[in-house]
Amino acid sequence: MTAIDQAVPRDAMGAERRPWLGVVLCLPLGLFLAAVFLLPVAGLLPASLTATPGILGRGLEAADGPTLANYARALSPRGELAAFRNSFVLSASVAVASLVLCLPPAWLLARRDFPGKGALRTVLALPLTFSGVIVGFLAILVLGRLGLLPALLAALTGERLLAGSAYTLGGLAAAYVYFEVPRAVLTLEAAFRRLDPEVEEAAATLGAGPWQRLRRIWLPLSWPAVASTLAVTFAASMGSFGVALVLARRLSVVPLSIYTQYTGFLDSGLAAALCLLLAAVTLAANGLLRVASRGRDYVYG
Amino acid sequence: MSTARRRLGSGLGERSGWGERLGLAYCLVLALAVLLPVVVVVLGAFVPAARLGLSSEQWVEGGEGWVSLKYFRYVLDLYSEPLLFSVGLAAFAVVGGLLLAVPAAYGLVRYPFPGAKLLEELALLPLAVPGIAVAIALIQTYALVRGEWWFVGLGHLLYTVPLLLRTLLHALRGEGFELERAAATLGAGPWQRFRRVTWPRLVRPASLGCLITAAVSWGEFNASFLLATPVNQPFPAALYATYTSNSFAVSSAATTIFLAVILPLLIAVERLGRGDLMSMRQGA
Repeated sequence: MTAIDQAVPRDAMGAERRPWLGVVLCLPLGLFLAAVFLLPVAGLLPASLTATPGILGRGLEAADGPTLANYARALSPRGELAAFRNSFVLSASVAVASLVLCLPPAWLLARRDFPGKGALRTVLALPLTFSGVIVGFLAILVLGRLGLLPALLAALTGERLLAGSAYTLGGLAAAYVYFEVPRAVLTLEAAFRRLDPEVEEAAATLGAGPWQRLRRIWLPLSWPAVASTLAVTFAASMGSFGVALVLARRLSVVPLSIYTQYTGFLDSGLAAALCLLLAAVTLAANGLLRVASRGRDYVYG
Repeated sequence: MSTARRRLGSGLGERSGWGERLGLAYCLVLALAVLLPVVVVVLGAFVPAARLGLSSEQWVEGGEGWVSLKYFRYVLDLYSEPLLFSVGLAAFAVVGGLLLAVPAAYGLVRYPFPGAKLLEELALLPLAVPGIAVAIALIQTYALVRGEWWFVGLGHLLYTVPLLLRTLLHALRGEGFELERAAATLGAGPWQRFRRVTWPRLVRPASLGCLITAAVSWGEFNASFLLATPVNQPFPAALYATYTSNSFAVSSAATTIFLAVILPLLIAVERLGRGDLMSMRQGA
């Protein structure tokens, strides 16, 4: 034992053995998380098991005792099932689209040096800082009834093609892809950086062509990157509220249904059930992400 | 440079140079597609709508030129309170975040205790739960304080503290203990060691974390919109009100003000953090 070890006892990892000090230092954070996160979120469970009348008086008949009526309504075709279907289809297709769109820039940012690299990354990261309502507003500017793209197409073809498409499911998807671009690019880039270029180099010296290297080396090694990107973008789309708040007219997505039920119909029970179901979906996507990336450092959230 | 690297670098470069050029061209198109709506917004904020051939003009007198600041004057006049509210919230998030995350990060790494890993996971969990669900849970539980500025601030902290904590943990874990242990043998107590040895090396990651905190707080919508009341809203919530009830030009000017704050922060994070931009991620 060295003199230092005598002065400051430590464990195998090099951390000091004074756990009470750690508890004291973490106490404020722990209390904050308990009061502002754990307690309220746990409170959603009893709320979701209580039938609330809401403004339409729909839950009145089952007023006593815990009930699963809110969950039944959340998942029934006459309830909010359509919102779940919309959210799911939208998020899955947006995840795949943003993955495909962002593979080339992520690869170039991770593997090649070129002038303007930092600028490219900054521009592609730009939507990361926009809240959903801003993305919604931008979508109206480009794809709205008087949007830029319809105006452009009108000048070219004489017809106002795509006018008002911002308010359709396709327009919503385009807006979602816009805010997923930075998430996909940065997740993929971080993952590609971790691939060992020497494996690829070894294959190249053994005579493997670009296509062979892609198929035999690059794809098998990078599927965790692909899986985590899909999970990150899927979860972000499922939880996105602001874009739909601005754009969605006749169709609904789950976050918007939660907002409408809570503030519009004052149905806090149904809103709580929807919140928990939605959280279960995003947490499951997150769990999948962890399995796929096996604790690697490019896991975000 | 090894033979293999040369083959891959220049040899492959020759053979698939067109491929790389095609890729770069594609990236340029993608970057332009991301920038286009932003450019339209900024143009729309400065150029009177009549000049752009749009009919949403509210002020008929117009026609005084190609560049006008009247929309900005209108927005600043109308939204001075939300703007100040949001600046205050960002400051609250930075100060509160440092007070919560710095001791916690130090405790988690230097003085681990049973359950430390669990607390770390718990602190990151708010990022994985949809913001709308957390916001609804908060107003259900604390209905009486809805609209209080510190309540909205606590909602922001939920999303900024994990990011700050992660930046600090990453820095602390990369540091090693040697300097601190050396200081300990020279007789420095825990507080002295933190202040004189650890903190100076934490200043850079902490500043990065504070920039990220300010940016995320400035753009945070869910808590800003749902934990506040319409009487006293932070700027992102006021932006939504503008979009639903005001003209294209006024909305553009308000969005441009939002961008004027967020863009320098984004560039600073890219410069300081080298690819740590992902940390600015927030619920959309």
